[in-house]
Amino acid sequence: MSEAVGGHAFQYSSARHQAESAVSGMWLFLATEMMFFGPLFLAWIFCRHADPAAFDAGARQTDLFIGTINTALLITSSLSYSFGVAFIETGRRRAMILCLVIAWLLGGAFLMLKFAVEWPHDFERGLFPGAEFVFTPAERNGAQLFFVFYFFSTAIHGMHLVVGLGLVAWIMLRAREFTPSRNTAVFVVGLYWSFVDMVWIILYPLIYLIGRGP
Amino acid sequence: MKVRTTQLFTSYLLLLLLLAAEFGVARLPLGEAARGLVLIPALMMVGIVAMGFMELGKAPQTARFFALAGAVWLAILLGLGCLDPMTRVLYPTQSTAVY
Repeated sequence: MSEAVGGHAFQYSSARHQAESAVSGMWLFLATEMMFFGPLFLAWIFCRHADPAAFDAGARQTDLFIGTINTALLITSSLSYSFGVAFIETGRRRAMILCLVIAWLLGGAFLMLKFAVEWPHDFERGLFPGAEFVFTPAERNGAQLFFVFYFFSTAIHGMHLVVGLGLVAWIMLRAREFTPSRNTAVFVVGLYWSFVDMVWIILYPLIYLIGRGP
Repeated sequence: MKVRTTQLFTSYLLLLLLLAAEFGVARLPLGEAARGLVLIPALMMVGIVAMGFMELGKAPQTARFFALAGAVWLAILLGLGCLDPMTRVLYPTQSTAVY
């Protein structure tokens, strides 16, 4: 049932009630996502604590340049999407579409750098845990734990980003429907898009920085 | 729109500054126990994204409650989860494994 009554679905008392329910629903979903990523962060603490020297030896083999560029790309992408939300709230639909296209392209650039440049380079250098793993026996176990964390966490984050790209594309395709008074979907997708950025902001130091002491 | 533009650019600038700070802190000769300090700028960046880009401060009360609940449960998960590795004493034992 999605019968609209006075600009809102029948089960809501007002359009504002409907919009607030959508925003709250997305935040509830994001709270469950925090619980989803929480054990991954806990795994990082456990694995590093088991053998910090070998775990950090693995971390030092990651590509800091690409990791840092990717962080800047996602932050800029979130900024661009947030401008898109601000533009549709003032009725500037074309400006919103332009901002969303930029956000989408920056997200796509992140995925390209991560999975078409960084991962293949890691595979070539024998950093994928297995028979060809390059580390010495003394560092092997700890470094393998690091790279299991690295490949698993970046894959899970990448999957979330792919879902985000799909959602942003869906908003762009439906852009004509949004007005200053009807844009909750744009805002709610923006919450998800920024959350994916947040997860990367935490993963970035765990993967690239903490193990790189002088 | 002008106010929102200023807010967004301020948040973005702060995020870039904190990213640079995080990068700099990681280069400091910190001891093993202090390496976790690198996470402080990252946590501040998460707060800025939540308040600046996701407008959590203006969100409905239920949304703020869900965000807080998520953060609290995450803190409980990580806090209790860390207790074991942080407090356990590992005594060296002779290996009995047969290869």
